[in-house]
Amino acid sequence: MTAKRLRLGILIGVSGLFLLAWIFPILWSLLNAFKTEQDVLAYPPKLVFSPTLDAFRDVLFGATSILPNLASSFIISIGTTIVTMALAIPAAYALARLRIPGKRWAGFYVLATQMLPPVGIIIPYFLILRNIGWIDTYQGIILIYLSFSLPFAIWLLVSYFEDIPFEMEEAAFLDGASRLKTLRRIILPQVQGGVAVTVVFVFLNAWNEFLFAVVLSGNTVRPVTIAMFNFVSVEQTLWAKLAAVSALAMLPVIVLGVVAQKHIVKGLTVGAVKGGGRR
Amino acid sequence: MSARGQVQLDGIVKKHGAFAALKGIDFEIKPGEFFALLGPSGSGKSTTLRILAGLDAPTSGRILVDGEDVTGADARERDVAMVFQSYALYPHMTVFENIAFPLEMAKRPKAEIGPAVREAAAKVKIEHLLDRKPGQLSGGQQQRCALARAIVRKARLFLLDEPLSNLDAKLRLETRVELKKLQRSLGVTAVYVTHDQEEAMTLADRMAVFMEGEIRQIGRPADVFAQPNSIEVAAFIGSPPMNLIPARYQDGSVLIGGRRLPTMLQTHGERDVVVGVRPSAVRFEADGIPATVEVVENLGDAAILDMSLAGTALRARYDRFPLPREGDAMGVTVRPEDIHLFDPVSRRRL
Repeated sequence: MTAKRLRLGILIGVSGLFLLAWIFPILWSLLNAFKTEQDVLAYPPKLVFSPTLDAFRDVLFGATSILPNLASSFIISIGTTIVTMALAIPAAYALARLRIPGKRWAGFYVLATQMLPPVGIIIPYFLILRNIGWIDTYQGIILIYLSFSLPFAIWLLVSYFEDIPFEMEEAAFLDGASRLKTLRRIILPQVQGGVAVTVVFVFLNAWNEFLFAVVLSGNTVRPVTIAMFNFVSVEQTLWAKLAAVSALAMLPVIVLGVVAQKHIVKGLTVGAVKGGGRR
Repeated sequence: MSARGQVQLDGIVKKHGAFAALKGIDFEIKPGEFFALLGPSGSGKSTTLRILAGLDAPTSGRILVDGEDVTGADARERDVAMVFQSYALYPHMTVFENIAFPLEMAKRPKAEIGPAVREAAAKVKIEHLLDRKPGQLSGGQQQRCALARAIVRKARLFLLDEPLSNLDAKLRLETRVELKKLQRSLGVTAVYVTHDQEEAMTLADRMAVFMEGEIRQIGRPADVFAQPNSIEVAAFIGSPPMNLIPARYQDGSVLIGGRRLPTMLQTHGERDVVVGVRPSAVRFEADGIPATVEVVENLGDAAILDMSLAGTALRARYDRFPLPREGDAMGVTVRPEDIHLFDPVSRRRL
């Protein structure tokens, strides 16, 4: 009994340490967002301070408002997510279901693209976009994001599609449904958990992406990850404003995660075929 | 209505690479008939059903339904309904939505769908479960839901792929009776795949016995049982299985255990044969062929005796009490009409 308690205590202690290490920068950043620039730099650090929304007001409505950049990030992330899902769902379904020659190689290729270091392909991508005149355009950056989000989404979705027994689909065909109707009415509702997970990851990757954005964007397309550096200059770093932007940039991701969580759990509770249907 | 549901299969061959899963299947099913495809697993019965449903394409051969060639037609164009072994209910839909799905796909008007679903549900006695999801149903209820989904559209063909095999023994017997009643009341042609010869015997008007991708025998269950045309069919139909004893035939009788048993076959000459005797056809007489009881399997109202007769094993059904004990010696005999004779080489019935 005491040994068990001791083990539990150690477990909690160690997890607590990890949690602390993980949460410290976030907390620090969040706290700074509510401080004045002077308070941020105060030494020793002020734990008790009078909170202010000045930093938020400045970054949202001031001279260097990041609202256009948030909009930019949303256009890129939502655009990438929509196009990715529109292409990945049929592709993953095909990979999971149809007998296509070279299917296994296609699966391997999809994974292999994930192993390339992004820095290695950024220069070719830059040259391609420059040649077709798509540097600093939404279609340009979404196209480049697709090149890594699409394989990833397909790879993630295939396993969800493979879990649906063949008989479920065959039953739908015999009930008079076409393949597309079967996908929409029978298959997709059952993989909505997987779709939700994929949407979160694709959106997240596009939202947080920095390296490609910094090279391939310009003044028209300027996502918030790049705009954040408006507040970092050679002379000074405006910590409170930087922290406020970080907090604002985190918000949509957190909201998406909370909303999708319900669907993710729902996706796990599916399963009414007895005796397993896979041949 | 009565003329719907006539099926004809012409030389259906299905190959997977070099392996022939079906080696030329021919049969005809009359409208309203309950037709069973019976055979051990891997014999091709399920493949035949899937080809009939349009889920698999045959390598060669033709499928005709009501005289119309549907060989190249998609499953959804064939107007057939199917109950799967796994039931394949749509887990995200309620029972009502599951049953309504085929009607929706057929673009029936909404006003028509509700009453049709309730009627189908009532036929299989699940009208009180329409709001549940499949995951909230017991195995038997799921099975009924699958049946309702299949009958709601009033398709011309009703295909069943081992629909009872996931039910427990008691429920299986109950459902078997109801299935037969249901098919009768609907008057629909049913094609039923099973490996359980008892199910085929009790349900089917006619049955086809599948083995190794071929049909070995087609006929009424009682006829197949009474006159199996080969050793394999004889061994497969009946439980416990038929005794098959190698013996010598001589001028209208067979020699077993040093005794002559007269047969119906009355030809002159001498040859090797395999003698088939059903356990229920073994009779006990004091002056019969001597046999020793080795194991007694008491079934309650009868017993299966595992006996040794002149060095070969013999199983017999015994329904007189008290039962003999292990080690007892008994005399056995068989009437001529209960003796099946097979050729040991061609394995055909003589």
